Amino acid sequence: YSPCSVAWWAAKTLSEADIEPVLEKLKDHLIGKNVASEIATKLCQSVGKKLEGKVVGTFEGVSTTVRNTLTESLVQLLTPKRRLDVLRDVVEAKTSGRPYTMAFCGVNGVGKSTNLAKISFWLIENNFRVLIAACDTFRAGAVEQLRTHMHHLNALHPPENHKGRTMVQLYEQGYGKDAAEIARHAIEFARKNDFDVVLIDTAGRMQDNEPLMRALAKLILVNEPDLTLFVGEALVGNEAVDQLVKFNRALANHSTSNKPQVIDGIVLTKFDTIDDKVGAAISMTYITGQPIVFVGCGQTYTDLRRLDAKAVVNSLMK
Amino acid sequence: MVLADLGRKITSALKSLNNATIINEDVLNDLLKEICLALLESDVNIRLVKQLRENVKATIDFDEMAGGLNKRRMIQTTVFKELVKLVDPGVKPYVPSKGRSNVIMFVGLQGSGKTTTCTKLAYYYMKKGWKTCLVCADTFRAGAFDQVKQNCTKARIPFYGSYTEVDPVVIAMDGVEQFKRENFEIIIIDTSGRHKQEDSLFEEMLQISNACKPDNIIFVMDASIGQACESQARAFKDKVDVGSVIITKLDGHAKGGGALSAVAATQSPIIFIGTGEHIDNFEEFKTKPFISKLLGMGDIEGLIEK
Ligand SMILES: Nc1nc2c(ncn2[C@@H]2O[C@H](COP(=O)(O)OP(=O)(O)OP(=O)(O)O)[C@@H](O)[C@H]2O)c(=O)[nH]1
Ligand SMILES: Nc1nc2c(ncn2[C@@H]2O[C@H](COP(=O)(O)OP(=O)(O)OP(=O)(O)O)[C@@H](O)[C@H]2O)c(=O)[nH]1
Ligand SMILES: [Mg+2]
Ligand SMILES: [Mg+2]
Repeated sequence: YSPCSVAWWAAKTLSEADIEPVLEKLKDHLIGKNVASEIATKLCQSVGKKLEGKVVGTFEGVSTTVRNTLTESLVQLLTPKRRLDVLRDVVEAKTSGRPYTMAFCGVNGVGKSTNLAKISFWLIENNFRVLIAACDTFRAGAVEQLRTHMHHLNALHPPENHKGRTMVQLYEQGYGKDAAEIARHAIEFARKNDFDVVLIDTAGRMQDNEPLMRALAKLILVNEPDLTLFVGEALVGNEAVDQLVKFNRALANHSTSNKPQVIDGIVLTKFDTIDDKVGAAISMTYITGQPIVFVGCGQTYTDLRRLDAKAVVNSLMK
Repeated sequence: MVLADLGRKITSALKSLNNATIINEDVLNDLLKEICLALLESDVNIRLVKQLRENVKATIDFDEMAGGLNKRRMIQTTVFKELVKLVDPGVKPYVPSKGRSNVIMFVGLQGSGKTTTCTKLAYYYMKKGWKTCLVCADTFRAGAFDQVKQNCTKARIPFYGSYTEVDPVVIAMDGVEQFKRENFEIIIIDTSGRHKQEDSLFEEMLQISNACKPDNIIFVMDASIGQACESQARAFKDKVDVGSVIITKLDGHAKGGGALSAVAATQSPIIFIGTGEHIDNFEEFKTKPFISKLLGMGDIEGLIEK
């Protein structure tokens, strides 16, 4: 027989009892791939709701139908609702005579400074002049780390290749100073000295550390960066949820404006260290609804990618 | 830590056993479901969680067991034994000895907190009167030597490193040799962050280890890590002789359940935990007392001994 004719008379209406066991397995599968458990549960619940009462042919099978529906919603989740075009926005800021500003925040050790350096490299490759603002005034070696990157980047893109312009410079005031103030001065400095972009490095902080979160909110409030990026590592498990909720909340709560600035996008780092356990991408996007703007996949300047939603979902469902 | 937090949840889950009039398979399944959910929410490796569930189920034979009290006790004991397995690999931690050189090498993923923790450990021993020092064998990360230098200068810990030498093996060897000559008792080697996917980095780690013959290798893990921990930890152990684990960043919200899989994968005990960015945010971790404290919560004291 042709399978279609079989399916015709064997079509069935999905009930909760059909879907439940399949979803339960898929939920465990997602958790195994490092999706936060709470989010894996919610995702599966919404797939269940979508499917209940739906008519499927048996040749498709309940399991395939559920899988396909989940796959679709995952791809949809990872596909940005609005296109963020940093290069275009930099040009736009330039036309209106001001530098474009980006702030990097996140918990300790996730790769803020390194990926800031990679993004500098990318911007320089696109012929923009970058000022790095050293606003981590706490962690030992933080300023020297950025200075080293500045030297490397200028060596890769010497002034003679750029009409005599030095493409990247560091703005620093050493340790122990107020980060928000340094950022403010850096932006001022960039405006006067014809820099196209200011990249603001901040100290890593735990999302429950009140004073440090307030200091970050102040930095954002005072300087109103064009783009506030949350840097999170692909290694993170369930904590991804709490980190993002609380970083967002801190920025919103401490803001005095009626349109509080929250996280605009995500930098997902260490993507090269997790094999197919790509679930953090899902957790982070689910919580913020914001796009993953950059993916860090290594420790050199060229290890920066865009998120490939389909590929991520493929690894996830494998 | 995860188990301390779980202690409460599990105690209350187990208490529900007391309220159940009959203890049957359904009751056990509900209990296990609750416990496993709590473990997964704390990032404990899903394979370990499934194993725990299987092991408990395999131990409890409803047909053979007699009275309700007996069943309750049996279930409680088994659950706790399985939980204890998560933190206790059953091996004694390495203990440095006074009056000779003890070389301790740090390894771990990028940004897990190695450099910070090296200084904390050096400071810990220094305050106890040991002659302590640090060798910076990270020539890769920008500013790595400055980080060590600033940390050590502030804490007055002697250190060794180089701005010009690019081979970490050479630095590690020279540093260790010099400090051994000067009769340092605790010689700590900080290394670059690395991951199993990059062979050359793992090869480098092996070379440093072969060259310096450390007495102990400490694997440093970030408390927020999720399901990727196990395979990384296993790979580190396969390459070099990891003997201890330190979990960092436990001052945050993370419960460290993901990092626990490093204990199983490396068969090594947790010896310290990091609880902040400052040099003294560092606590000794003793598996046995931790567990007895855990067991002391609620009314299940001493179950394991019975
Ligand atoms: N494998 C890999 N390593 C990365 C990636 N991004 C950053 N790293 C490494 O992660 C470690 C920490 O990176 P940093 O940039 O110093 O992290 P940070 O968030 O600025 O850290 P703090 O400022 O101390 O909070 C370094 O060893 C980096 O080389 C990545 O995409 N892949
Ligand atoms: N809150 C908190 N932060 C910590 C703790 N331990 C380390 N950190 C922070 O984590 C970040 C990374 O620490 P490092 O010591 O540079 O990590 P690392 O493993 O040496 O990094 P690489 O050498 O780049 O692989 C820094 O911001 C540290 O201050 C801790 O216990 N609690
Ligand atoms: Mg940094
Ligand atoms: Mg380091």
